[in-house]
Amino acid sequence: MKNIVVTINGKKISSPPGTTILAAAERNAISIPTLCSHAELAPYGACRICLVEDRNTGRLMASCVTPVAQDMNIATDSDRVREHRKNIVRLMIAEHPESCIVCSKGNRCELRKAAAELGVAETRLYPMPNYKPFETLNPFIARDLSKCILCGKCIRADHELVAVGAIDYSDRGFSSRPATLYGRPLEESVCTFCGTCVSMCPTGALSTRSEHYAGTPEKEAYTVCGFCGAGCSMAVGVSGGRVVEINPSEDKNTVNGPTLCVRGHFAHDFLLSEDRLTTPLIRKKNEDGTESLQTATFDDALSSVVGRIADIKRHHGPESIGFIGSAKCTNEENYLFQKIARVIFETNNVTNCQERNGASLLRRIDERTGGAARITPLSGLEKAEAIVVVGTDPEHTVPVAGYHIRRAVRNKTPMVVIDPSRSGMASFGGLWLHPENNEEGGRDAFRFAVDALGALATSIASENGADSQYIGSATEDPDGWIDSLSRENPDAHARAAGIDAAKIRKAASMLVGKKIALVLPPDLLERQFGNQTFDAAFNLALLTGSIGVQNAGLFVFTLENNTAGALDMGCAPDLLPGRRNAADPDERKIVEKAWEKALPETAGMGLLEMIEAAEAGTLKALYIMGENPLRSLPNPERIAAALEKLEFIVVQDIVRTRTAEIADVVLPAAAFSEKQGSFTNTEGRIQSFGPAAQPPGDSLPDWNILASLARKAGYPEQYTTIEKIRQEIRRIAPLYAAMGSHRREWLKKSDTGGSKRFCFAPPPGPEKAQKDDSFPLTAYIGNLRWHLGSGSRTARSGRISAGYGAGRIGISRTDAESLGIAIDDLPVVRITSATGSIERQAEIFPGLPAGFVFVPSGFSGNDAMRIADFNAAQAGGENGGQGWRTVRVRMETS
Amino acid sequence: MDPTQFDREKLAAVIGKYQDKKWALIPLLQDVQEVFGFIPPESIEPIADALQMFPSEVQGVVTFYSGFSLKPKGRQVLKVCRGTACHVKGSRTILRMIKKDLGLEEGETSEDYQFTLETVACLGACFLAPTMMVNRDYYGKLNPTKVGAVLGEYRKEDKEA
Repeated sequence: MKNIVVTINGKKISSPPGTTILAAAERNAISIPTLCSHAELAPYGACRICLVEDRNTGRLMASCVTPVAQDMNIATDSDRVREHRKNIVRLMIAEHPESCIVCSKGNRCELRKAAAELGVAETRLYPMPNYKPFETLNPFIARDLSKCILCGKCIRADHELVAVGAIDYSDRGFSSRPATLYGRPLEESVCTFCGTCVSMCPTGALSTRSEHYAGTPEKEAYTVCGFCGAGCSMAVGVSGGRVVEINPSEDKNTVNGPTLCVRGHFAHDFLLSEDRLTTPLIRKKNEDGTESLQTATFDDALSSVVGRIADIKRHHGPESIGFIGSAKCTNEENYLFQKIARVIFETNNVTNCQERNGASLLRRIDERTGGAARITPLSGLEKAEAIVVVGTDPEHTVPVAGYHIRRAVRNKTPMVVIDPSRSGMASFGGLWLHPENNEEGGRDAFRFAVDALGALATSIASENGADSQYIGSATEDPDGWIDSLSRENPDAHARAAGIDAAKIRKAASMLVGKKIALVLPPDLLERQFGNQTFDAAFNLALLTGSIGVQNAGLFVFTLENNTAGALDMGCAPDLLPGRRNAADPDERKIVEKAWEKALPETAGMGLLEMIEAAEAGTLKALYIMGENPLRSLPNPERIAAALEKLEFIVVQDIVRTRTAEIADVVLPAAAFSEKQGSFTNTEGRIQSFGPAAQPPGDSLPDWNILASLARKAGYPEQYTTIEKIRQEIRRIAPLYAAMGSHRREWLKKSDTGGSKRFCFAPPPGPEKAQKDDSFPLTAYIGNLRWHLGSGSRTARSGRISAGYGAGRIGISRTDAESLGIAIDDLPVVRITSATGSIERQAEIFPGLPAGFVFVPSGFSGNDAMRIADFNAAQAGGENGGQGWRTVRVRMETS
Repeated sequence: MDPTQFDREKLAAVIGKYQDKKWALIPLLQDVQEVFGFIPPESIEPIADALQMFPSEVQGVVTFYSGFSLKPKGRQVLKVCRGTACHVKGSRTILRMIKKDLGLEEGETSEDYQFTLETVACLGACFLAPTMMVNRDYYGKLNPTKVGAVLGEYRKEDKEA
């Protein structure tokens, strides 16, 4: 269609039909004041302050909702327009309480700015403040709706961006306000406290609760969130060198846009925790003969580390030293860390904390796809033809990914959710498949996904939904999986899964002929039947031609922000930087040449092997960066006993963790917001950032500590800048060729993906979960949105702990009744597995099937790992093995 | 019948007619109000579910229109006109009389759920001023005797039913 030409302030402007006057003006650097308009929200026209005048007709129009029309002659700043604008602002202020002086929005208040720019001081109107109760019961958001100007940004952000629907306008006229269902306080509503509304609110109606600071921060800086794998871009408000507030960054094309989640927005107060490490500590003898950690200088601490580890290496060989890197540290730090292990201490015993939780799945996908599935932009979910979510609730693991899915579903993208539990995702407009006809649904909870995916594939194939062209050109089927489908009866398959045949047919009809975006849980391989579930999902993806194409394929939302990066940087016993196979002589040679050092040929020990070696006495020293094995690994008693046997432990961390307490040397490190570096997020984006705040006390960025350590150990290379490390990474790992050139850069596309044929997995065996009368229930150890990982950080957030510190165990109503538990009193229950037991309060999680227990990890005093089985972690979910995240338990009231 | 007792099956039957039709929110709410006499707050979530809306959105619509009520109303809803014409013709006295007779203030419902007393800005029947409506019936040219007779008639009918 032809462009439309209008005149704005005397300037001829041509824009496509449908463009609003506001957009046309802004594109031509003509600014119009707004309060309710936001680039990421649909035009709304609530506040009317953006009104402009058409000189031809004399009409006044709200420019944010009026499309351009041919030959309009717009004045954006005429006397008449200004007069009307002034009146709008005067009326708003007349209704506004005079509490600016204590308002935490301070100088960022947009109403105040608008008033200032229009020269509105005294309104000369009778003040009629619209007092509403001030709500501060929840620890995150203060709601003072007397300051609300009804712009509707909070409501629209809630509906359009995070798609939760916690609030909408209620009532009419003077009493109209944003309200939750039944006008309940936020914490009793479906609000997830993502805080998106707080960042959007133009006035002080919504503000962040903080015990540390109120008002406008001194400055704002860019950083990337240090929690989950989404890697949200953030604008950090800093005052006095401390992080006092966090909002979404205003950068374009970020993963999160104007949203964040409760962790990103509010949990950062852990940065100010008293548990932060501020000086190096060395274990020394006291006068009374006991030992304790005592303050030391960096120089002494590093000398001790280098001296002791070199000593142990001399006596016991390099294989007696282990290095645990961190999926929470930057790419540059993990690179230096594994280089120190491999080059200075000559061992491949280097791994990272997510080895058994997320990294395992990334590696499996890499193996099966030849690296063709590393780049999975979350925005692809909104463009996907269909979405299948398998046994995970992204709203709790990686909330920003959950928003993408919700937006897609709101936009009528078909979604099938395969989950024995009715998660938030399962009840959000898609088709929910669960073992409704299986009385043992809880016990078979993890077998269910295998059968449901199989039934779906059979049903799709029977409706000629297989993408035969893709299968012919891009896949191999050595085990005859596709043939096996034709022998299956789809209805019988559905019955075996415990689903009505009609429901599977309906699900299949939603997917036939479509490329599918399959969302898999990051800990899939650590669950019972994890391998079979992965195979079934992979086969379904190949059957529908969904791998290696845009906006489809396997989506894994990693839990830690740099799970992918730590792996890419070579914090793995068998991988060198750039995911080069350490056992492959050609690959090794490239790295050896760059490092000018011969490298060990055999793979080193992984996380669990190191623990076993410590038990056996063959591992003597462990260097742990940014990880708390005593809290995050299964069976903490066993881990503690193993670590006790070590001669020397170094812990480099930001807070005083349980593991730091038993260390010989503790090195204080800077958190994500206090250093420069880059993280690689779950979509395969390398996100670079600089320091926003000061590290507390003597603490230093991990890469500074590692660089000093290398120098101390006599390594000739001086790593004085991040750029120096990046140069090396770019040279060794072509995957990271674009690293650091911009804030956000994609990994390089893998060359091997195109030529390689993807291989169908064999059909799954018939194993079912074993019945075990002494442990009749299935427990899953997982995260709720408030906490992440083992909770070393989130449990130290005052706000998170105040709201959600209890970590109650979730049980089904059926189980509560059959065990005779008076659930309304939040009774303490004991959960016992073959490994150990924990006691916590229990409450009903309404979506759980009978026989299923949800144990949240990450809470203050987190002890979830006491029921997890170390040996099950070793085995993974192999051949129906239990997997360490899924545990057989019994429950008693205590 | 105690209107505070919520009959889920009755609601499901009403909702069933409009399943997945987001445009039908207002007709659906009108039907619910017709069946229950008001919009039971418990019905908001099932309605939202059926139309694939957020419950808060449904609440927003219910609270916006004064025609919808989240509180149970009496079997007879009295709407006394407080428009200009009726005012001139003495509607203030009529209202005072009714208040006294029923023992109710504006917006209140009697304990036995027989009467709800409301006022409206204008019923559009100014030629009959002063007027009121009881449910769907108009009563015009009111005077104290006539008001007493109308209320008495409704009391009698209600007892017989």
